[in-house]
Amino acid sequence: MRLITKATLLYLFIMSLVFSLGGVITYQTVMKAVARETGYSLAQNMYLLEDAIREGKPLDALQSSKTQITKVTSFQPSDTVYNFSDTMAMHPYWKRLEPHRKLTVTRKVDTAYYRFNMIDVFLETDDVSEGVISVMTRLFFGLGLALLLCSFLISSWLFQPFQKTLQKIKGFNLKNNEIISFENTSTKEFKQLNGFISQMTDKAQRDYVSLKEFSENAAHEMQTPIAVAKGKLELLLESSSLQEEQLPLIQSAQAALSKLSKLGQSLSLLTKIENNEFTVKETTDFSEVVEQSAMTFRDICELKGLTLKSEIEEKVMLSINASVADILVSNLLKNAVRYNITNGWVNVILDKKQLIVENPGNPPNVPTNQLFERFRKSNQSGGSLGLGLAIVKKICEVNQLQVDYVFVEGIHRLIVKFPL
Amino acid sequence: MKLLVIEDEKALADNIKSYLSTNEVICEVAQNYQEAVAKLNVYSYDVILLDIMLPDGNGLDILHYLKAEQSEAGILIISAKNSLDDRVAGLELGADDYLTKPFHLSELNARLKAIYRRRKFQGFTEIKFNEIAVDTNNHEVSIHGKQLELTVKEYELLLFFISNKNRVLTKQTIAEHLWGDNVDFLDSFDFVYQHIKNLRKKITAAEGHDYIKTIYGLGYKFHNN
Repeated sequence: MRLITKATLLYLFIMSLVFSLGGVITYQTVMKAVARETGYSLAQNMYLLEDAIREGKPLDALQSSKTQITKVTSFQPSDTVYNFSDTMAMHPYWKRLEPHRKLTVTRKVDTAYYRFNMIDVFLETDDVSEGVISVMTRLFFGLGLALLLCSFLISSWLFQPFQKTLQKIKGFNLKNNEIISFENTSTKEFKQLNGFISQMTDKAQRDYVSLKEFSENAAHEMQTPIAVAKGKLELLLESSSLQEEQLPLIQSAQAALSKLSKLGQSLSLLTKIENNEFTVKETTDFSEVVEQSAMTFRDICELKGLTLKSEIEEKVMLSINASVADILVSNLLKNAVRYNITNGWVNVILDKKQLIVENPGNPPNVPTNQLFERFRKSNQSGGSLGLGLAIVKKICEVNQLQVDYVFVEGIHRLIVKFPL
Repeated sequence: MKLLVIEDEKALADNIKSYLSTNEVICEVAQNYQEAVAKLNVYSYDVILLDIMLPDGNGLDILHYLKAEQSEAGILIISAKNSLDDRVAGLELGADDYLTKPFHLSELNARLKAIYRRRKFQGFTEIKFNEIAVDTNNHEVSIHGKQLELTVKEYELLLFFISNKNRVLTKQTIAEHLWGDNVDFLDSFDFVYQHIKNLRKKITAAEGHDYIKTIYGLGYKFHNN
């Protein structure tokens, strides 16, 4: 729900409470005032009657349907107090019971005591409550309408800078390296908000760039020391004083260095793909890339005693950077060769819709889709870096390709689906 | 062969110098752009080994300089970056080859010698190693003057051995030389043995001497004794 809708609803709710309470208070105030006024008028009439009694008019002439005067001889002291009460009495014209105000008091006129019983028609409670409700309802609707108009103005004009800020944040992408800039606003809170967001995004962007540079530089910078170490080991191999059992030590040190170097290169490649450094759009003859890779790997397959079969449809064109396409295909083939069985095979099928690389192998220890995660390996102790499929996944993501890994009936099958 | 190594990392330059310096190779080192240009002004070199990332200037500037000077030296670029941009830019500016760090010194040696042969003898060269003669122009090998039928890989293997004679070559080095980066994922390089065995067989069948010595558990050495 929109903020403004919420605020309006809340306001309407509070307003209805206030108006109901106001209605009750108004009703009571009006009733009190009317009662007081009716009382005054009853008392006034009584004084007139007292005057008439003094003038000697007979009591009977003064009696009416609304006034009863009786001469009394004995009374309680409390009876001399004005006693106002509500009562129902027959209305002389309407011929029905109506609420009346009644005054009962014993008064001394000259030397005698008279008991006055006077009633006067009283304002009907229904009329008062109806009146109050009608006024309150009109006020409520009037205010509600004003409120809606206000909220419309607020959302369309007052909240405009806020909406714009939201749009800017929505369109913000850390990787685009665009500086987020806000229009000037005269509202202090929005100014602050924009300021905070600018600061935050600037910081995030700076951190992102430095992290990116760091991972790229780290990968490059580590290559030189590795080259130095590898060279030293090679020089060590040349020295004639080495014992035979020392040679394998040097060799495994060299292998570890190669792995370290490869790790740096793979991570830097992942970073580069992630940073969209290969998004230069070109159309690549994917058939040729696959053909080339298959040729290279056919050789390697033979060395490992594997057979490589390929069915490659010609002229499959994809919008992907050629070297990235090459990395994609060779990573798939490397995987197929590495996780094969003795005297196994690798099958490469390319058509207009998809590329399939399949090979027999042992069942994976982890769910196949998890093998796309970095450093996730089916065999944790193996010599692989665990980055090959992560790179495949990343390349596919960036190039709108869909990659799936299935393992059915002893066959590993990697499918790269092309966009239609 | 006169070689200039332009490399800012002293330890790496030292490695290269001590590995390559033989009776046949004179190796000098320049550690920055200024030093390199100063040396290039005075002396002439057969091959220049150039690190593309130098502290005081891009290595590509040296390529520009050499091109302007119409230098005849062969150029091998080494770089920690394997990005295609550098490689393409380097090769377009007249570099002969490109090697990514970290490299095997034996691989570097083979590449430098190949550049030297191409430059010095305009591609027409015959390498002789006792009774073995390799015609690098036509990719032909003969023993005692009799032509030897070799596969591409066997030819490359033999050339690699001769370029690195009397040096220890590990199976990994040989595998990477023959199959490039694509074999780095394999856990064992024992398949190299098959090619060595075939090459050995062909050489001995042609009454050549078996120069390939197996170093158990490590690799091979092509040596003359």
